[in-house]
Amino acid sequence: MIEALELLCEIAAQQDGFVEFRYHAKTSRSLGVDKGKVERSQIRHRKGVGVRVLTAGGWGFASTGQVDAASIKRAVQMARTAAAACASHAHSSTPGAGHQPLSSLPACTLARGIFDQPGLEEVATRSLEEKIGMATSLEAQIRGASRVIRSASCTYNEIFEDKAIVTTDGAAAAFRLVRPELRMQAVAEKDGELSTGSEAVGATGGWDCLFRSAAGEALAERAAKTAQDLLGARHAEGGRCAVILAPSIVGLLVHEAIGHTVEADFVQAGSVAAGKIGSRVASDLVTLCDSGGSEHYLGAGGTIPVDDEGVPASRTTIIKDGILVSYLHNRESAARFGVAPTGNARAWEYSDQPLIRMRNTYLEPGSRDLDEIIADTRDGYLLDGPRNGQADASGEFMFGVQEARRIRNGKLGELVRGVTISGIAFEVMQTVDAVSRDFRWDLGAGYCGKGQPAKVDAGGPYVRCRALLGGEE
Amino acid sequence: MNERNLLDLCRTLIELARKAGADQAEAAASWERAVETHLENGAVHTVQSREETTYGLRVLVGGSQGFVTANDAEPEVFGQRVAEAIAQARVNPADAWMGLPDPEVVAAVPGLYDADVAEVGADEAARLARTMLAGIRDLDPRVRVDSGSVSAAVSMTALASTTGVAVSEAATLMDASAFGMAVDGDDVASFDYDNAVSRRRRGFEDEIAEACSRFVTKCTAGLGAAAGLSFRGPIVLSPDAVAELLLPTLVGALSADNIRKGRSPLAAHLGERVAAPLLNVWDDGRVPGGVSSSAFDREGVPTRRRALLSGGVLQTFLFNHYEARARGQGATSTGNAAGSTASLPSVGPHRLEIDPGTTAMADLVARSETAVWVGRYSGATNAVTGEFSGVVKNGFLIERGVRRPVREVLITGNVFELLQQISALSRERQDVGGTALVPAVRAENVSVTAG
Repeated sequence: MIEALELLCEIAAQQDGFVEFRYHAKTSRSLGVDKGKVERSQIRHRKGVGVRVLTAGGWGFASTGQVDAASIKRAVQMARTAAAACASHAHSSTPGAGHQPLSSLPACTLARGIFDQPGLEEVATRSLEEKIGMATSLEAQIRGASRVIRSASCTYNEIFEDKAIVTTDGAAAAFRLVRPELRMQAVAEKDGELSTGSEAVGATGGWDCLFRSAAGEALAERAAKTAQDLLGARHAEGGRCAVILAPSIVGLLVHEAIGHTVEADFVQAGSVAAGKIGSRVASDLVTLCDSGGSEHYLGAGGTIPVDDEGVPASRTTIIKDGILVSYLHNRESAARFGVAPTGNARAWEYSDQPLIRMRNTYLEPGSRDLDEIIADTRDGYLLDGPRNGQADASGEFMFGVQEARRIRNGKLGELVRGVTISGIAFEVMQTVDAVSRDFRWDLGAGYCGKGQPAKVDAGGPYVRCRALLGGEE
Repeated sequence: MNERNLLDLCRTLIELARKAGADQAEAAASWERAVETHLENGAVHTVQSREETTYGLRVLVGGSQGFVTANDAEPEVFGQRVAEAIAQARVNPADAWMGLPDPEVVAAVPGLYDADVAEVGADEAARLARTMLAGIRDLDPRVRVDSGSVSAAVSMTALASTTGVAVSEAATLMDASAFGMAVDGDDVASFDYDNAVSRRRRGFEDEIAEACSRFVTKCTAGLGAAAGLSFRGPIVLSPDAVAELLLPTLVGALSADNIRKGRSPLAAHLGERVAAPLLNVWDDGRVPGGVSSSAFDREGVPTRRRALLSGGVLQTFLFNHYEARARGQGATSTGNAAGSTASLPSVGPHRLEIDPGTTAMADLVARSETAVWVGRYSGATNAVTGEFSGVVKNGFLIERGVRRPVREVLITGNVFELLQQISALSRERQDVGGTALVPAVRAENVSVTAG
């Protein structure tokens, strides 16, 4: 990593104009255990250098899998050719629509130094045998939990990343980090009816971070119990109702339904957040942030010290007490909006160009007890465990929910199945009337897709609001 | 790089693996060179060029498997990569079903390579992207292109194994896509997407023009969307929605790995009727010039055209070599080993087709009926149970012959029940990104919830 940083600095010193270099090496190991068998055990290495050039308003990007001076210099030439082609078409492509090309990037704070993250040594020195042993024993625990469990699976992944980012205008940063992930699923069956229970955790750091909220055995127990409890559960009644969202669902909601609409590239294209800076978009109980750091406690899965343009990945407050105060920026969008970049430029691998992406997105905790919020809910649902989710430029979102528990007269009741929650994000956030004092990162095993994947995390407290529940008509 | 070099790279790797103690070995390698123009906020934003060689080495030692993949195709690191794969195999438990397929005769699929695509450079890719932007703007200025791309790629794939498999193939791909939404004052419609894909350079401008037209129609259709209606009744899935909601869950349930792991409700129903009698579903890896076509699968086994459902009756499951051995009962690979050279073989389809019906798409809902047209489906589907619940995108409520756009409408049910509830198929079919060729599908008795 240090060698790569030095090599890039040396080549950068020979360049004219703006050139950005990114060395990125990834090694991932993954293995899965399914019905007692070890499957899909593999090692993946991918490394190379991505080079971006800005010339006369055109961006050129080229990448090489060969990390030597000659190959990197060839990539610079290819990126210059691409930038020239881009510049000649970018200028004439936007009469009356879109934005005008940017000829240069304004100066901003850029990172210099080494920013290694914790956990590298610990995860690297644990043997493959130990990792196989853990996955095998958790999978066996799920299968043995009940006679109705028909099959189980447990997958362990770890991704080691080495990065060096150098720009001709002053960035020279490098870091290493590791992200372990653990996923498990139980499938239960009774009288031909199937149900599933899933648990997943992911962190940036060692196993202490991975298992901070719950031990592997507790996750396995929960996956088995969910699958078992959902057998015979009835469907929810569809309609608009009060819902208490657990941190996992809050995380998915703020990531998918709000986070994407405030990414500056979506804002420029006309997302629902466009023109709303300074406006009320949520109840005054809502404060929303996105951070490259792991706020509240260590280990959030989307942690990065520096973004892929060399900007420090600091905390950005998006909504303050219900008022929209900032979008998420890369250097280019920040220049267009006349603000400082927020450190949100991220690329998945060396051959991907950086895009505006979230990191760790979360709602700040409030002051209420969860028990008190439940007791104060006459009719509604407690929702936990997202199945998956999607959202739109309009802020309309939809998530599947694994566990939906009925609340009647302030008391938790039966589990119902096949539930989805949907709504218009900013409308739903206006209805937030209770925020608990808890805080949990709960999306660390998640990947966000936007043309290329990104490792993100999200979370928050328990939140009560009103939303549309999908169930049986 | 050429096909012979790539096959030599594979042979070098398997020979090194054998010397290092592997009983069997398989190496797959791919090379790709591409130029791509990225669009952002209605403008040409970046032009990118890339070239990469990737390989995946699978070794078997005493019935245990190890796998390593890397993009460092330099002979000096091969020894280290082979050692990693062997070390991994020695740690992994033995599995009696592990093995590599024997060689079979592989016939080329015509039309996968076009030398003209290899000639497309940065300037031409940028010009095509500008043409696409202009095409969309001229059709309707309310449509915003948030992002998109135009790319031209040349690729080669090779695979060699110690059982004697030695195959290679060259292919080209032109791809143009646009992602965005219509904005009219304060009215922001749903995101939508369309793309054009082709193995050929010639005529690609026409395919871009057609994609622009579909994209603009879909984006603007959602403007003015209002609340829908809650009811239980008929829905019509557009070809896009069929590809999003029905096909992935159906194919997942037919994949032999899910059958073996107890994750398919169709496991015990081979030869039985599992869908409405009007449903004929095919998997085809050999469509001439098809973007999902290839002469061989991830293990070098020849691809085929195969009936999955005929008259609603389940004809076959999908197997790779491992799953066929695990199944026993004389099962053989169906040529459905899926995945790239950088991953272990999984199980997956090529291009899925549903035979057309007899009703015009516009006549799938009668004047007297109330139904919902599902343009796109955005939601959760439990791949094991088939339960689904999701938002209708680009959706319309059809009442007394009048269509109006709706928002915040959810549909809920079970994919396996929905397959039985299909009552009509349109006679028009649409190619969905080269991965499916399907009609619109009408299904009865579906739960629709309006917000």
